[in-house]
Amino acid sequence: MTAALWALVALPALTGTVLLVAGRRADAVAAPCAVASAVAGLALAGAVAATRPAAAAPALAGIPANLAVDGLSAVMVLTVTAVHLAVVLFASGELGSDEARARFFGFMSLFAAAMLVTVTATGLLVLLAAWEVMGAVSYALIGYWWRGSERVRSAGLAFLTTRAGDLGLYLAAGAALAGGAGALQLSGLAGLEGVWRDAAVAGVVVAALGKSAQLPFSFWLSHAMAGPSPVSALLHSATMVAAGGYLLVRVEPALAAAVWAGPLVAWVGAATAVLLGVVALAQSDLKQLLAASTCAQIGFIVLGAGTGGVAGASLQFTAHAAAKSLLFLCAGAWLVTLGARDLEGLRGAARRHPLVGAAFTAGALAVAGVPPTGIWAAKDAVLAAALRSSPALYATGLAAAALAAAYAARALVAVWAPALPRSRPHGGEHGRGPAKARRSPGAAPSVGGRAPADGTRPAVARASLRVPLLALAVGSLALGVLALPAAAHWWRALLDVPGERGPAGWEMAASALVSVVVLVGAGLVFARGSARAAVAEEGGAGPGTPARAGNGVASGTGLPPVGRWAADWLGLERLVRGGLVRPTLALSRGLSVFDDRVVAGGVRAGARLGLTAADAVRDRVETAADRSVGAVASAVRTAARWALRPQTGLLHQYYAQAVVALLVLATVFVLMR
Amino acid sequence: MAETVVFAVCAVGAVASGAAVFVVDSMARATFALLASFLFAAVPLLLLELSYLGVLVILMMVMEMMVMVVFMIMYMMNPAGLMPMSMVHNKAGSLAVAAVTFAVLAAGVFLVPWPAREGSPPADPTRQLAEAIMGPHMLVMMLVGMVLFATMVASVVLSTPRGRYDRYGDDLKRTRPDDPIGGGLGR
Amino acid sequence: MTLEAFLLLAAALFSVGLFGALSQQSVVMVMMGLELMINGVIVAAAALWYFVSPERPDGQVLVLVAITAMAVEMAAGFAVTTAIFRARDIDMVDAADDLGDRRQEQGQEHGQSREQDR
Repeated sequence: MTAALWALVALPALTGTVLLVAGRRADAVAAPCAVASAVAGLALAGAVAATRPAAAAPALAGIPANLAVDGLSAVMVLTVTAVHLAVVLFASGELGSDEARARFFGFMSLFAAAMLVTVTATGLLVLLAAWEVMGAVSYALIGYWWRGSERVRSAGLAFLTTRAGDLGLYLAAGAALAGGAGALQLSGLAGLEGVWRDAAVAGVVVAALGKSAQLPFSFWLSHAMAGPSPVSALLHSATMVAAGGYLLVRVEPALAAAVWAGPLVAWVGAATAVLLGVVALAQSDLKQLLAASTCAQIGFIVLGAGTGGVAGASLQFTAHAAAKSLLFLCAGAWLVTLGARDLEGLRGAARRHPLVGAAFTAGALAVAGVPPTGIWAAKDAVLAAALRSSPALYATGLAAAALAAAYAARALVAVWAPALPRSRPHGGEHGRGPAKARRSPGAAPSVGGRAPADGTRPAVARASLRVPLLALAVGSLALGVLALPAAAHWWRALLDVPGERGPAGWEMAASALVSVVVLVGAGLVFARGSARAAVAEEGGAGPGTPARAGNGVASGTGLPPVGRWAADWLGLERLVRGGLVRPTLALSRGLSVFDDRVVAGGVRAGARLGLTAADAVRDRVETAADRSVGAVASAVRTAARWALRPQTGLLHQYYAQAVVALLVLATVFVLMR
Repeated sequence: MAETVVFAVCAVGAVASGAAVFVVDSMARATFALLASFLFAAVPLLLLELSYLGVLVILMMVMEMMVMVVFMIMYMMNPAGLMPMSMVHNKAGSLAVAAVTFAVLAAGVFLVPWPAREGSPPADPTRQLAEAIMGPHMLVMMLVGMVLFATMVASVVLSTPRGRYDRYGDDLKRTRPDDPIGGGLGR
Repeated sequence: MTLEAFLLLAAALFSVGLFGALSQQSVVMVMMGLELMINGVIVAAAALWYFVSPERPDGQVLVLVAITAMAVEMAAGFAVTTAIFRARDIDMVDAADDLGDRRQEQGQEHGQSREQDR
């Protein structure tokens, strides 16, 4: 079955490469190809999950490229291929036929391939390669509508942020090499010696937190919403952000071995779950709300990894993947049909499209953690592990669960509220929100020929749109089965952690109670608020006017400062810009000035000095030497002329010379004798 | 005393006529002035009891001057001196060189401590000379003879207008020389 | 009648002949100057024989050699004069200056032509 494993990763990679190379010529066949490849991928995933093969190929000297499927990988592979199939199927129906479909589906397939390699890699080398491909392709996908410079900027920001975190993996690989894990196997990280293990674990943790948009990296996910909704559905549910969580789960033994890492990771996850829950509550834009919610839910995976709850974290991975991809797809569907993306503009969306509404409701309930959904079961397993670790973590986790229920209620109320009589959908236009982070446009640009049709298009009429929604809805609800003790036991056995204790009955009841109570209470509060807004709308200057478009109930001008701070994603981007980007740029500018002035200036000065010296030598020494040579030459010439003078050829002058010479000789002879 | 007078007259005459050679315009006069100078100079030789050599000089110079006259007429532009013209160059320099030479020689004459006379002249200096050149100084005489013979051949070759290329052709292949006048060796 | 008087006469004859040899343009006249100089040598040799070592014949032999040289000089000189006159119509020593360095312009022309040949 090794061939199946190779095929599993090669098939989407080949599909994506071929589509990308073919370019727009393949637009017509791109979607069928991608869907077929995804179907085959799901089948292959089932096969490898059942047979657990391992594959190896030679790579570097002493570092083989190994792929293997164990229990955790099996779960991940199935989840990824299933979500990938659903998303690709939905996108094939939703994406405009005049878009660059080959590019879209090519990158999606390539991305899926990279994720599959990531979750089956057993060594850091292969993992790094796939990890990097994922980052690069995510840039291409977020900036899919590259004609909008804002989108490209957002894509660049997301890419840069995750890329900065990725450096941790290089640190980890270096530390593993230095520490003696020669083959760079992930399983060998726990066995490294002291400081190398610390360095490797720290690198892995940083890379995972960056990829998973945990604090303090969360803000990039807000920017990532600039891409098409199917992209968000794939990247921000089951793959890209989940990859960080998966990696932490995978290296959980190493986290446990390095004593400081487990609690740190757990607390970061818990803090993200709480704070990003607050952020989600403060968002007025559905996709932003979902993005913040993604960070918060991944926080549970991270919490589970930090406290040793491998089973809970894996279940949270799967359940959240199903629910969140479903929610993103629904948001995308409404964005296409209604052209609305802010909660205010989405009023009544669920009533117009009951099927989408129902699916959305299923996903939202799952995110809220209401029993008997999958996330409820997963969250309880995670919280059980947290309680064993420390009660404070448990309490924080419960608060995060309550917040999840609250923002789910807010989204639900927004879409089920009765539509305003004069509520106009607002297309790609949106008001100037208080922060740029909230200005990530989710609406398709009119360039793509996807101007909002205001409901004129039959929403989700096609099977290709309905089937994925229904399948994901059923999946996100049905995963709640795993809350049953027998099923939970099977799950733990599947993941090779049979010793892990599941949640006690009272814990499950408590969390379910918290979720339901908060959901109902928040729902009532928000419903009353939206009713008031409707009345105000009746009275005139309602929030639906363009002047206030994009400012939902919670992010209006009347927000308390905390709300504004949360709506602005905790000001993380400004913090990073002020604390990291600006100093770095200033430093680089200073260094460039130093380079220009001092280094290059020194070189230039050296050159000038050389030139000046050469000039001086030419003017002084050279001319003097020239003149002296010339003087010698002319003196010789003159002497030669003088020497020629006696050579007259005239006999009498020769006589005279001879006589004079003889006289001189005779005189000298006589006198000297 | 008489000898002294004769010597002084002859010495002055020799130098004066020698100087006259380069002063007079006419070639003939110059030639005869030179002849006179030789004759005057030959007289002191006779006074020195060198009768043979003195007579030899006189005879030789007379003959030589006759030949010289012929060459004068052959080669001089102004053989008769009828049109006064100066045929000198660098007169001042030559004069200076001659004067300095004379001064140096005269200084040498009076400053050099000449050796004392050894013995006296033989009774017949001519016999002494003859015995010398036929005896111990035979080599000198042989050399003089050879030199004279070589001079004759050389002067004939130099002054002959027709050379062997004229006689035997440009490639010297002619078996019989082409002479304007027949005869000669073997013909 | 002293050695010095004879030598003085010889020096005077020699100097007069030297002046002639140096100053005359005509080949014949130059040869006259040479005759005078040799005449001076003859007189000096004879005087030295008489006043220094009359018992030995060397002085007389020397006179004989000088007379021979005079004859050889005359013959060779006139032969050369004839040859050069035939060859180039030259009867003045100034005209026979082939061995002399040309004037500068001629020299430059020489050099240029030689360079062109090269």
